[in-house]
Amino acid sequence: MDNIAGKKPALLWAVHLSVVLLVFLWVVPTFGLLVSSFRTGDQISSSGWWRSVQTQESQLPAIRIRGEAVERDGSFVIAGDLFENTGAEISRWGINSRDTEAFAAGETADLGDGQSLTVQADGFFELTSETSLEGARLPRVFVTASTPPDFTLQNYNNVLFSPLAGQSIGQAFLNTLTVAIPATIIPILVAAFAAYALAWMDFPGRALLVAFVVGLLVVPLQLALIPLLQFHNWIGIGKGYLGIWLAHTGFGLPLAVYLLRNYMVGLPRDIIESAKVDGASDFEIFVRIILPLSFPALASFAIFQFLWTWNDLLVALVFLGTGNDQQVLTGNLVNLMGSRGGDWEILATAAFISIAVPLIVFFAMQKYLVRGLLAGSVK
Amino acid sequence: MKSGFYVSAAALAMVAGGAFAQDLKFPVGEGGFNWASYTAFDEANNLDGQSLTIFGPWRGEDQVLVESMLAYFEAATGVDVSYSSSEGYEQQIVIDAEAGSPPDIAVLPQPGLIADLAAKGFIKPLPAETAAWLAENYGAGESWAALGTYAGADGTEALFAFPYKADVKSLVWYSPDTFADAGYEVPTTMEELKALTEQIVADGGTPWCIGLGSGGATGWPATDWVEDLLLRTQPADVYDRWTTNEIAFNDPAIVAAIEEFGWFAKTDAHVAGGASAVAATDFRDSPKGLFASPPQCYMHRQASFIPSFFPEGTELGVDADFFYFPAYAEKDLGSPVLGGGTLAFMMTDNPAAAAFIAWLQTPIAHELWMAQSGFVTPFKGVNADLYGSDALRKQGEILANATTFRFDGSDLMPGAVGAGSFWTGMVDFVGGKSAQEVADAIQASWPQ
Amino acid sequence: MNPAFQALVVIIIGVGGCVGYFYLSNLFLDKVLFPAKGAMAGRNINRANAIRPWLFLFPALALLTLYLAYPVFATLWLSFTGRDGAFVGLENYTRMIAEPKFAESLTNNMLWLIVVPAASTAFGLLAAQLTDRISWGNLAKSLIFMPMAISFVGASVIFKLIYDVRDVSVAQIGLLNALWLQFEGGIGSFLLLRLLPGLFVASLLAAFAYAGWLVLRPLLQGRAEPLTLRAGRVIGAAVAAFLVYEMALWLLGVVTNDLPYGQPQTWLQKPYWNSFFLMAVLIWIQTGFAMVILSAALRGVPEDTIEAAIIDGANPFQIFFKIKVPQIMGTIVVVWTTITITVLKVFDIVLAMTNGQWETQVLANYMYDKMFRALDWGMGSAAAMTIMALVTPILVWNVWNARKEMR
Repeated sequence: MDNIAGKKPALLWAVHLSVVLLVFLWVVPTFGLLVSSFRTGDQISSSGWWRSVQTQESQLPAIRIRGEAVERDGSFVIAGDLFENTGAEISRWGINSRDTEAFAAGETADLGDGQSLTVQADGFFELTSETSLEGARLPRVFVTASTPPDFTLQNYNNVLFSPLAGQSIGQAFLNTLTVAIPATIIPILVAAFAAYALAWMDFPGRALLVAFVVGLLVVPLQLALIPLLQFHNWIGIGKGYLGIWLAHTGFGLPLAVYLLRNYMVGLPRDIIESAKVDGASDFEIFVRIILPLSFPALASFAIFQFLWTWNDLLVALVFLGTGNDQQVLTGNLVNLMGSRGGDWEILATAAFISIAVPLIVFFAMQKYLVRGLLAGSVK
Repeated sequence: MKSGFYVSAAALAMVAGGAFAQDLKFPVGEGGFNWASYTAFDEANNLDGQSLTIFGPWRGEDQVLVESMLAYFEAATGVDVSYSSSEGYEQQIVIDAEAGSPPDIAVLPQPGLIADLAAKGFIKPLPAETAAWLAENYGAGESWAALGTYAGADGTEALFAFPYKADVKSLVWYSPDTFADAGYEVPTTMEELKALTEQIVADGGTPWCIGLGSGGATGWPATDWVEDLLLRTQPADVYDRWTTNEIAFNDPAIVAAIEEFGWFAKTDAHVAGGASAVAATDFRDSPKGLFASPPQCYMHRQASFIPSFFPEGTELGVDADFFYFPAYAEKDLGSPVLGGGTLAFMMTDNPAAAAFIAWLQTPIAHELWMAQSGFVTPFKGVNADLYGSDALRKQGEILANATTFRFDGSDLMPGAVGAGSFWTGMVDFVGGKSAQEVADAIQASWPQ
Repeated sequence: MNPAFQALVVIIIGVGGCVGYFYLSNLFLDKVLFPAKGAMAGRNINRANAIRPWLFLFPALALLTLYLAYPVFATLWLSFTGRDGAFVGLENYTRMIAEPKFAESLTNNMLWLIVVPAASTAFGLLAAQLTDRISWGNLAKSLIFMPMAISFVGASVIFKLIYDVRDVSVAQIGLLNALWLQFEGGIGSFLLLRLLPGLFVASLLAAFAYAGWLVLRPLLQGRAEPLTLRAGRVIGAAVAAFLVYEMALWLLGVVTNDLPYGQPQTWLQKPYWNSFFLMAVLIWIQTGFAMVILSAALRGVPEDTIEAAIIDGANPFQIFFKIKVPQIMGTIVVVWTTITITVLKVFDIVLAMTNGQWETQVLANYMYDKMFRALDWGMGSAAAMTIMALVTPILVWNVWNARKEMR
């Protein structure tokens, strides 16, 4: 297809530029999440992620002086570094929340009661007191400093190895795969046969059945939860993998049938007719011709169904249960956030961990999305 | 149960359950715990091999805490407990109950929802003597017992839910250093609090940080404000009748309480970012203003759970502290406390479930959690020295000193109001609508 | 038994069972029940062919009926019952219609139904067409597809980091507000906030007006057409007229509005506009879907038709709009329909970001609210039925289409 754009370099550049712009718009939000997953919760809620890669000057939250006092020349001294990581450079500092920029780096502040405090530009401080500092409330320091970029892997450590969720993420990962793989393959298979019948077989009521399928596309999932769980309890499968496979199959079928039927209708009629003339049965036509030709459609539906089951939380909670041994990845990650759920850094990290597998699936399936097989069979 | 899948799942559950059975956090017999109640319970109950499913609201760190308490129940009875929780647990419990696969024990923080479940016949009543036990052993016990008492499917009232774990909501958080820098004193009456608010404005500061944002639940922090202020402007029975709609939502008494909240939240100078920022600020981000440099505000009214959203490294009692959201000195309504809490109830006839309710009546079941963090109990039989921190002990005192304790009203109201129009109404209120307009709309949404 | 091993067994049993079912049932039909030989061969073949579609359809129909149709009928019944389960007739519906929130949901849903499918399909088509012709197209596709793979848990943080608002005195953590604060009313602001959007809206206005004219023209010329088609043209023209009106209002707004420079904006709390900020989330997610499907269809367009057009001297735009788009029209319609239906069901975006406050309520969230928060199953079911009813035009259209394809 390069023959269209290839002749006009200007147009090709326009295409490149438009795609860059489009990709940029689509990636920026996710990129923000990625950057945020390497920041602490305090960093996320105090400055924009786009500022995290540059050295920035800002007022840091108050830092309380800590440390062991040593006696020196008859006075008590606590010395140390305000920052755990080096690299920050203090410009102004203060000891009162009403005047946070009272002193320049290197100046000494009189705290009263015979105490004085010196803070250097690199964060080194020295608190001197005439009386013992034992049990005394140590002062806070407000600093205005330029801090270099600071990223942490702690969030990933927390999400991957935290004992908080009651079980390992590995088990949850396995559970999710156990749910997602059968829940992807079974509906495709069932839907493919139905789609073939709706597309290429002649029987009364076909149009109505298509309408039936389209109508069911719109059924809100929430409607079906209670009746179906009731049904599962009634037939004795209760909560478990079998139930969730069936549920995902049922919920995924309308879209599968609809997409596949529309794809199959578009397949060239003459191939199928000639196969029929050659004496092939419908079953043979389906397996030998339709399935290979429909591979792009099957692959794209497989991607979507897999994504959907992978990221699903609601269906898993209802049909699989919430016990630690049955928890799926999304459930596990959501539980990490605690009862009030506000740890943005955990959320961000969790989202990136759970995105990995769907992206791999997409990359792996991408080459099947091309209709190359069709071209091969026609020529 | 016939299914092979099910059996293997159960086997796995036992392995997982065993995981937390092994580590008992506090050695039995040591420390100031009431171990006598533990050994007595241990001897009285032998349910080896039985299993119990518990579904509750505690996730993350809270889940670790509750499981440390459950480990002792397992050790004492031999029951295999599996605790689970999930986001959206309220919906899930409804779905499970309706579909016929409920957990043995469920724990919920919303009495209103429990009442709905009880009315539909999904909950087993507790033994008759439990109500009397609560009245006797809990501080303000009658009101706790009333909290768990609902009409069953046949219309008869009974105790259905057992309150376990309380939260104190009438707290104002502040930074002692910031107060000291400005020379402010902790107010002890509402008059002083209002004077302090105006003083801070006069000194060029911003007194309050208020954030109502909470995603889909945006607005709920304001309902706590209104409830607290109603308890401080009207007698407790007005509050009680308000939660049942005997007193209409647009009654002048209620409208006055909403306007009282407006004094704090709708005056631009009183709140960080101005009135328009109130609804937009997330309640989890809001307290961070106390610790910003320079401070964005001086005070933040929120329940006892909020320290988990303070900046990392904030030390309670040093960097942050709280005082009781005071009552008006001139109104003579005592010192009312607004709180919340969780209630446990039985959804099956499993004997282990009954044993679990009995376990919650032992001091040790409370002490094990309160010795750690985030747990306050109205149970008078516990050793208050065991509280894991001074902050918890102080909250315990506020609870004990309360002349009136009232449960979060929005959790008592029907879901359509308490988790719906009340929230949205408060957002509309800070967004500019008048208190009367908002109250009228909420009243109209009350299910008839 | 390890669940993973179980899964493997189930995949084998499930897949094998399915294949076995289809194979054996066909075998049984052809060889045992109606063998295509002997005296009755012709009749038997006809009979077998009459039954065979149902063999193919049976598993899907059984699952669909049980898992979706049955709950729908259960819901239909519930929508006529009160809290105590007694039949109350249309009371739930009348109560629902009386609620202002319901009318709000309905109008918002209309807006969603127009904007989201159109924008997602347009962006998806653009992405599919452009990425097909460049060397790093697959990478670009994967990046545009990425939002589809992000769980909702992640999406809620992502858009917090975009729409968040802070007091003007502290650093913004929402990207949109950070950008907004860069504008201060100078020449750059004029170019980017007035001229550029003004031109964009004006071109949209022109496009809608032209589309409306194209739809309406045959009717004005008095061409003989079936009644349904004429009705369709009237409706289409009405939608176009509505959009032209909206765009005219927008254009007026863009030109005349006083922009509050220097003040952080609470994006999600501005009635009317906040719905668009919520829609942006869904468009961002659904474009990947549209792109994947349309890209497959575009690659299926036979080369010879394109080559013929090139020889005829068509420019790339003509090739795209006159050759490619008409050939993949069927797929475009499928994508459009699917996204429309997704829009009807969308509730988690609204639930998590505004919960329908500030006039952003949509039907699906309204339903969820009534069902699980108010525990009012009657009204929740009535809302669900409304959502189902909205899909009727699509249903009718699909029946019509399926009939057409048959012949």
